[in-house]
Amino acid sequence: MLVDLVQNTLDGLTFGAGYALLALGFTLIFGVLRRVNLSYGPSIMLGCYAATWVSLAFHSNLFFLLIVTVAATILAGAYVERLCFAPHRGGSAIAAMVASFALWMQFEELATVLLPRHLYSFPALYQGGPLTFGPLFLRLEALAMLATAAIVCPLMWWTLYRTRFGLAVRAVVSQPVAAELAGIGVARIFVLVFALASAIGGLAGYLIAASHEQVTPMLGMWSTLKGLLAMMLGGLGSLPGAVLGGLALGVLEAHSQWFFGPQMRDLIAYLLLFVLLAVNPRWMSAWTTTRSAS
Amino acid sequence: MAKVALFLMLSLCSLPSLAQRVQGDLACTFTGTDFVYDCVIGLKRSGAPLAGASVTVSADMPSHPMVHNVRPVKAKPGKNPGEYLARLALDVHFGEWAVKLRLAGPVRDQLILHYDFDEKGARPVTRGGRPPRK
Amino acid sequence: MDVRVDDYTIGVLTNVALFSFVALSAYLLLLAGEMSFGQQAFFGVGAYAGGMLTAMFGWPLPAAMLAAMAAGAAAQFLVGLPTLRMRGLYFAMATLAAAEMARILFELLHFQRTVDGDTVGPDGTQGFRSIRWVFEAGIEPAEYLALIVTLLAFVIAGFGLVERSRLGATLRMIGEDPELAASLGIDVDRVKLGVAAAAGALAALGGVLYAHHNTYIEPRNFDIMLGVHSLVYALIGGLGTAAGPLLGVLLDIGALEGSRVFESYRMTVFGGLVAVLLIFRPRGLLDERVVHWLRSRFS
Repeated sequence: MLVDLVQNTLDGLTFGAGYALLALGFTLIFGVLRRVNLSYGPSIMLGCYAATWVSLAFHSNLFFLLIVTVAATILAGAYVERLCFAPHRGGSAIAAMVASFALWMQFEELATVLLPRHLYSFPALYQGGPLTFGPLFLRLEALAMLATAAIVCPLMWWTLYRTRFGLAVRAVVSQPVAAELAGIGVARIFVLVFALASAIGGLAGYLIAASHEQVTPMLGMWSTLKGLLAMMLGGLGSLPGAVLGGLALGVLEAHSQWFFGPQMRDLIAYLLLFVLLAVNPRWMSAWTTTRSAS
Repeated sequence: MAKVALFLMLSLCSLPSLAQRVQGDLACTFTGTDFVYDCVIGLKRSGAPLAGASVTVSADMPSHPMVHNVRPVKAKPGKNPGEYLARLALDVHFGEWAVKLRLAGPVRDQLILHYDFDEKGARPVTRGGRPPRK
Repeated sequence: MDVRVDDYTIGVLTNVALFSFVALSAYLLLLAGEMSFGQQAFFGVGAYAGGMLTAMFGWPLPAAMLAAMAAGAAAQFLVGLPTLRMRGLYFAMATLAAAEMARILFELLHFQRTVDGDTVGPDGTQGFRSIRWVFEAGIEPAEYLALIVTLLAFVIAGFGLVERSRLGATLRMIGEDPELAASLGIDVDRVKLGVAAAAGALAALGGVLYAHHNTYIEPRNFDIMLGVHSLVYALIGGLGTAAGPLLGVLLDIGALEGSRVFESYRMTVFGGLVAVLLIFRPRGLLDERVVHWLRSRFS
């Protein structure tokens, strides 16, 4: 029993690390641009599909596939940024969101045109079995996911608090008008933040695809949902919150699935979010700045 | 318009009628052109093959309802009694489709068959062990 | 008359009309300032409720329609209560969560009866077959389309009346500036709950009609894609008038279906058009300015 609990928690943290990375990307875009990017998950899916196509055509090595995934995701993200977010910068947040939905539709269609079948296998990171620590199992993909999150998060923190770029980003977040007046190229910051979010997303996507050893067109919506859920659970607009929210979601899902099955797993996560939003504890909205959340 | 209203009013007191239900199955081969299949539809009623029906075939995608509109095609009678041939052009991609058969003529009925379409053909969908939603 | 052309056009128009119900329900909420990602759940409630009543208990369609609308209204009212204080993205995510919960509940719903020797009823993920009331009443597809369009026309007429009335002005005021509305003595909560119930009923009406058109429903039909699509159609068509959401639906399902030339790039074309359109018309095609201009020209 205890072994199960620990194993579930371990598995949960692994999934949660993936969710944390997704939430990090969403939060970067939402926190800095104050916009919801509905194409975030689909751009990651497109990145994974590009890598799948390359792997089917050229049987490349894993590291190259990782590069392809991240690069394709960044490209897709740049396309989204130019078409959906740059034109609406001073204007309607809803228009930007609807435009990002339109591109989501484009990405899904492009993915199915590129690879028409419903399911494609994605090369695993490691062909052997899982590592064992006593009675506990840890697959290598899981370890990679945890390690990546453990590296990315402090890197993010360092970027935001120890570099000039990070300083500029924080300035744009808290005082956009003043930042512009101080000579910070706000448009350039947005583009770079978008690229950073896409890079993290591509990384997360690659690890998720390698963990599951398959890609489907549903990956787009799935990543969007998980990323949004984790971001909201951790408190909208907060980067540490995104990471904690992702980890918490992963652990919650792992335990729920173990005790109640996959449907209840999803139900419990949504119920938790709904209840939290209804009750609205202070820590959930504590991170948002004075500007409204739409 | 009045006809519809009359139908509705008359039907207010009636129960749905018991109809002899038709069973159907599908055997499709991929033609090579994207998302076009040559299908042989087999119809049975009370165990015996059903011949002489007028069959119109179309399809809808369960995960994207109302968005894909497949052109309905009339099926031609096949070699054996109870068999009908139709060329089905699916809308956008492979996957699970709900194929709708509308029968007119001697027997009036409507069937929905769930099949998974890919480059090899179509397989009936078994819902038992669905993989977790990824 | 070539049966293929007729059947196809009727099919497309029926789908356009059915989708319009959900798009209009999203539009109603948008007027009151609420962006809902969850209208698909109430579409589903209407579909399941109406289907169960006609297929399992022999209710005639008109009665089932009314009951389905009541169920949809009640369901959305129940969701509306805890979400009253939420705005923007919080409200959107809450409705999304509620709708996904509803969909999972549909997956867990197993409730069947034996009717005339057949087992009928929702069977979880296997779906709910044999919703054949319309078919067995001898109503042809063209006649059913006429019925759906008539109901839709009533709904749009209703919207037209509301928009010109004080209620319409109240709604839009609540949407733009709830604090101002409250300071003018408007009971914002009551209006919002009323709007929620109306939107739920509207979506549910679409649902029961859809169930009987398709004769088969399953939980997967009511997933997020449906809800987001309906919201987007309303936003693209424009929020100036109820014809806006209709226009949005027509543009996607209607016009692009008709232009088969795009084949497998239909979504790419539509998505690109929408994104570009929004740059020039961020509030949709028939936004308030255009509608105002049109009304002043023609009245």
